[in-house]
Amino acid sequence: MSDRPILIIGGGPAGLEAARGIADIGFKAVLVEKEGILGGTPVHSSYAALTPDFRPAKEAMAEMAAAVTNNPGVDVRLNSTVTAATGSLGNFEVTLNTADQGEEKISVGAAILATGFQHFDPGRETQQYGYYEFDDVITLVDLEKMLSAGNVVRPSNGEPPKRLCFIQCVGSRDRQIGNEYCSKVCCGVAAKESIEVRKLVPECKVFIFYIDMRMYGYWENEIYWPSQEKYNVNYVKGIATEVIKKGDRLLVRGEDTTMGRPMEVPMDIVVLSVGMEPSKGTIEMGNLFGADLNKYKFIETVGGAINTVATTVEGVFACGAATGPADIEDSISSGSAAAMKAIGALRRAVTT
Amino acid sequence: MGSNPNVDPDRIMEKEHVIQDGMDISGHWNRMFEQRVIWDYTPELIDKVTEVEGGESFGWCYQCAQCIPVCPVDIVGDYGPRRIYRRVQTGEDLFESKDLWQCTTCMNCLRVCPKEVDMIKIMPAVRQEAILKGNVPEELQKAFENTFDYGNPLGESPKKRAAWLKGSDVNVPLMKEKKKADILWFVECYPSYHPRGIEASLALAKVLNILNVDFGILGAEEKCCCDSQRLAGEVGLFEEFAEHNIKTFKRYKVKDVLVTDPHALNAFRKEYPKYGAKFETIHYTTFLAPKMGELNLAKKLDHRVTFHDPCYLGRHNGEYDAPRDMLKAIPGIDLIEMGRCRENSYCCGGGGGGMWLDGFMADHVSERLSERRVEEAVETGADVLAVCCPYEVSRFEDAVKSTGNEGKLVVKDIIELVVESME
Repeated sequence: MSDRPILIIGGGPAGLEAARGIADIGFKAVLVEKEGILGGTPVHSSYAALTPDFRPAKEAMAEMAAAVTNNPGVDVRLNSTVTAATGSLGNFEVTLNTADQGEEKISVGAAILATGFQHFDPGRETQQYGYYEFDDVITLVDLEKMLSAGNVVRPSNGEPPKRLCFIQCVGSRDRQIGNEYCSKVCCGVAAKESIEVRKLVPECKVFIFYIDMRMYGYWENEIYWPSQEKYNVNYVKGIATEVIKKGDRLLVRGEDTTMGRPMEVPMDIVVLSVGMEPSKGTIEMGNLFGADLNKYKFIETVGGAINTVATTVEGVFACGAATGPADIEDSISSGSAAAMKAIGALRRAVTT
Repeated sequence: MGSNPNVDPDRIMEKEHVIQDGMDISGHWNRMFEQRVIWDYTPELIDKVTEVEGGESFGWCYQCAQCIPVCPVDIVGDYGPRRIYRRVQTGEDLFESKDLWQCTTCMNCLRVCPKEVDMIKIMPAVRQEAILKGNVPEELQKAFENTFDYGNPLGESPKKRAAWLKGSDVNVPLMKEKKKADILWFVECYPSYHPRGIEASLALAKVLNILNVDFGILGAEEKCCCDSQRLAGEVGLFEEFAEHNIKTFKRYKVKDVLVTDPHALNAFRKEYPKYGAKFETIHYTTFLAPKMGELNLAKKLDHRVTFHDPCYLGRHNGEYDAPRDMLKAIPGIDLIEMGRCRENSYCCGGGGGGMWLDGFMADHVSERLSERRVEEAVETGADVLAVCCPYEVSRFEDAVKSTGNEGKLVVKDIIELVVESME
């Protein structure tokens, strides 16, 4: 058995689960996180409740973090980044840089990249929806922050909204922007947030403008149906094209495709359902370890349907949203898978 | 009931005796103009479009509908790429449909399309095939024939292409005599022949002289740039004219080509290089905007001005600022924007052959695009609608009359306002 630990980069849902799994099996893990706190994007972006189970994100991530912080099998390095990596399966030499402590070289047997994603910036490519222009045009992430604070109000005047809508597929499924993929989670997250808004501001009418609602598996009955049946959220097929200002309100212009009629609907808050893009860390760590990135700059996995965590470099694995859009359930499952594959590869390398 | 020439009598369905919910709706009370139930889908009609070179992206539409609210024709009618796709999927043959001729190739749909369904390529490609089969609206065919016979779609004498200079003392040298110049000014058809176009041409000639620009024009040697004919489907005509114009340009030693017409700008920049053209083209607003300080604009104009972005200057070629910079440099002008401006500017209806389809379009829209635009201009409180595309002066002036806004709004080329402020 190799005495070298397995390096995990990224302390979000995928990395936390990979670290816990490795320690549970009896191997050692070094978990490197660039921030001063574990939990990843759900914590750093102040998510309110998880999709689909509505469990408070902070609480759920704290539970995952606790499983590694007091675990003798996991060496947690906060405020740390990996700045160099050489070697191959069984013996990678990596340099860690920790804030206020400087550099340290360690030897690891394998590496798992769990470096995650970043939210699409809806003003980056076009100003179609006026995200930079209008205070009351916000993103799913901005709304999560409001929901976490228990205070959903119009940023422009501090008043609770009477009408709020979501516009789906912003920054996803778009050839011009370059993100041709579906970001997978935004439909579910919008439906989840719509329920939370209806609970918090019951007099607010909520609309979701969509191309097609992608509610795979249980998300259909756990979030989509309840949002419509119990919380009276209005679903309208047809993506809005533009948001313009009308008086002190916003006017959403689009086409209701099932009616075949144009629509111009007033709103107090417009929420853009932004998708996922590779994080800066995902691109940097992929490059550092020599693992190929795909055309969208997520880390390329090479095992097809039957191995979702192998990269182009033997001994380097990737999991969670570092490999492409993923929800938290997927990320945690693939964190587990990466732990298993890394241990398996390392064990075979050492015994042969 | 009177007969409507737009309704094919074979498609009228009427049952002699019908009682519905106790109501007698026999005879014409139950008349339907087409089959309501969809009996089948017609993927082969989509294939027919995508199999044409240039038509490929038609098949990519995923019905998100972002194109519809920005389609200028849908705003006054029932149109847009998403709808056309659906109609073709349910039995419409685009090659024989009225939908083929309504697109002005304004490019606002492509601007917002996440799938890059490119009507700027699809429409000319399918129109070309339709024209080969003789399916083309008569008035458009007439414009093609005029272009072929006279070198301009107006049907004016090619010999008189420089006749606009007659009676004017402004100096406009001909390249035939000059041989060499810094700037070859490609005047184009409407600025050479249309009375309002001529006024703008004389104004531009005057400004070029004041700025001591070393320029010349081709006069009778010039032929239509043909870009709108190309987009209307007459690709063969376009090729012939492109080759003619390129050959003419090569006869002279010039640095750059200056154009009045954004459609010529588009053709010279994007299409002529495919036929061997190697020269830089600049629109007159881009050329003059940085030179406004050199003009003595002494007279203060008391105008509230709104500006209409030409589709082929703005969306197609990315120039939004130069015309505005020119207007802002004129003393006394108060520039106000219309709701639809810059990237989302409305279309005058003249592009992609629309210039020669007014009669055809009248049967399919509730009002002309130019009329809708004039109403938007009036709404801003402006008394001048400034333009910088030769199609627009005549289109908007007609629309000012037909919408009853005479006396409220005048249409002027930016260059006319510049000259006014010099007097």
